[in-house]
Amino acid sequence: MIEVRSVSKTYGKKSNVFVALDDVSFEIPDGASIAILGKSGSGKSTLMHAMSGLDRPEKGQIVVDGEDILKLKRKAVDHFRATEMSFIFQSFFVQANETCYDNVSLPLEIARVPKRERKEKVLRALKAVELDDKIKSKARNLSGGQKQRLAIARAIVNQPKILFADEPTGNLDSTTGETIENLLFAYNKKFGTTLIIVTHDDDLAEKCDIQIRIKDGKIESTTKSKPSQKATKDGAHKVPLGHHRRIQ
Amino acid sequence: MKRRDIIRRAGRSLRQAKTRTLLTSFAIAVGAFTLTVSLAAGEGSRQYANKLIGSNINPQALFIVKDKNFFGGGQSQSGLRDYDPNATTNRAGVAIKQLTQDDVTKLQKRSDLTDVQPLYQLTIKYLVVAGSDKKFTADVSRYDDTVRNESSSGSLPPLGQQIGDDELVMPQSFADTLVSENVIKNSADIIGKKITLTVTKPSQQPTDAQIKQALTSKNPTAAIAQLTNGVSKDVSFVVSALTKQSSTNLSFTSAVQIAPSQAQQLFDYTTLGTSNYQKYAAVTALASGSNKPEDVKAALAQAGYPSQTAHDLQNLLFTIVNILQGIVAGFGVLALFASVFGIINTQYISVLERTQQIGLMKALGMPNKDVAKLFRYEAAWIGFLGGVIGSGVAWGVGTALNPVITDKLSLGTGNSLLIFQPLPVIILIVVLMLIAVVAGYLPARKAAKLDPIEALRTE
Repeated sequence: MIEVRSVSKTYGKKSNVFVALDDVSFEIPDGASIAILGKSGSGKSTLMHAMSGLDRPEKGQIVVDGEDILKLKRKAVDHFRATEMSFIFQSFFVQANETCYDNVSLPLEIARVPKRERKEKVLRALKAVELDDKIKSKARNLSGGQKQRLAIARAIVNQPKILFADEPTGNLDSTTGETIENLLFAYNKKFGTTLIIVTHDDDLAEKCDIQIRIKDGKIESTTKSKPSQKATKDGAHKVPLGHHRRIQ
Repeated sequence: MKRRDIIRRAGRSLRQAKTRTLLTSFAIAVGAFTLTVSLAAGEGSRQYANKLIGSNINPQALFIVKDKNFFGGGQSQSGLRDYDPNATTNRAGVAIKQLTQDDVTKLQKRSDLTDVQPLYQLTIKYLVVAGSDKKFTADVSRYDDTVRNESSSGSLPPLGQQIGDDELVMPQSFADTLVSENVIKNSADIIGKKITLTVTKPSQQPTDAQIKQALTSKNPTAAIAQLTNGVSKDVSFVVSALTKQSSTNLSFTSAVQIAPSQAQQLFDYTTLGTSNYQKYAAVTALASGSNKPEDVKAALAQAGYPSQTAHDLQNLLFTIVNILQGIVAGFGVLALFASVFGIINTQYISVLERTQQIGLMKALGMPNKDVAKLFRYEAAWIGFLGGVIGSGVAWGVGTALNPVITDKLSLGTGNSLLIFQPLPVIILIVVLMLIAVVAGYLPARKAAKLDPIEALRTE
């Protein structure tokens, strides 16, 4: 359960104040998939940064499983991010010079996972995104879709409770984008991981359980997907679930 | 992140920028090379000096004088000075007080000294090898038994033992001269041959009675000539050995050497009636029993006799070595100083290049302190690499060139100018790594302070 309580964030000083978030409050149940929608500059990215503890809003609380992460010390927030959260970015941010294995191993190293446990986890994550034949390939030799799959492997390797995806399909063509979406939702359903997608793509947002629209730092609307839409969504899930069977 | 993983990732980042890493570390390598060579040269020179002194000089030996100017070479003396009847002027024009027979007797009575022997500076008129009438002149000194001598022919007594009263020792080069002058066939033939030294008693002021006697003699001219010409005396010795000059023979004497008692007799004979009679520039002695030479030296200084021990000689040589080593090391330190800026520059660029990577690692929960560590370890790797390259090349080149250097400087086989030891080199590399880490401090701090949100913002 993630509770966002009256979070406000401003940039600049006195005469030049820019309000990025203005008294934002909402709740996300565990295991849900959320789309945070908004145009660029609406404050959706700031909201994601605040929820992940990367940014510190001046006001409000972000309570994750009963603990206000804004009150934690930096070290504790770092630990929290290393063990409970993960990120997927629009421009992948995979380390081009490193092998797929080393890319995926990074979060485990940061979380101080013992070396003997790492290998199995890395291989499992790479298999989940069907990159298990590219273990030793350098990330620079991968296609865009493969890079984002690698980023997903990196994001899920530590089995996070919360997965943030910032425009995960923004740099991909529609077919590849769909594969990535399917992977994310499948993971969300299978492991009950809370999936928070920041996007301006309505089609992607419609596939989520909850849509939160942000405009000028305020919540414009919060909608839940109708059952009929849910059905469509389940249909869309056929592929990734089949994919999961392959994992098993 | 665990230390091991940070070090591994740091090494990997450097491998991904191989050329830059190598070029940066070459700057350190230059410093490391110079420092390694200076360490090796210092060690080599010290070992050489030690060998030189340890194998040649009795550690108990003391060299005693009356005037401390003897050691300093003397400050240049000019102007009007006190007359000292016991002083002699050396070649540099410095008056040196000499030891008198009283001084020698006093020293001989001391319980902390044994084997007190004055240094005789003896001039002969000429010497003749038996079976030839060719005359030669040479310096004559007493055989020094506190110094190890090596013989090329014949046999020498062991260190601390004198040669016999009728024996004579001369350098190999003298025998070579005799061969080239056709006095002998082979230099070894001189062993066992008789050599006669002719010394002259200086002419003296005749007394009134002597003049009167000469004038009244049958042949007054011859009698007066005999009175003023001085008297000669022949002393014969048998050559027992030829000494050779080895590279580690520090105090090689280029003189005909005879037993001290003989040298004394001849010295007294040739100086009788002159101002040099029973005056000596220096005295050699041994600290007796368990007395330490340093303690004896202090006691002698109290009594007014400056002296030098084997240890002093060693220190003198070491001082020179240390100064030279310091100069070379100074250049190495300068090179290192320059390389520090190279590291700072490279690491700053590296931080800028890897902004996104740093942002990602922070987003994934890497603490700032670990990010700083990552860059500091990268700097340490550069330092390590530079140190290994520099000292490795120095070691290799030095070892390869050692025989050539030994040959050129005629240090003698078995001696090397450059002696590389693992421990100082390891310490040097560790120090270089620390310097590199210090140089990497600012870039590492920049990386640690980087705002992850800024770093991950995409255009």
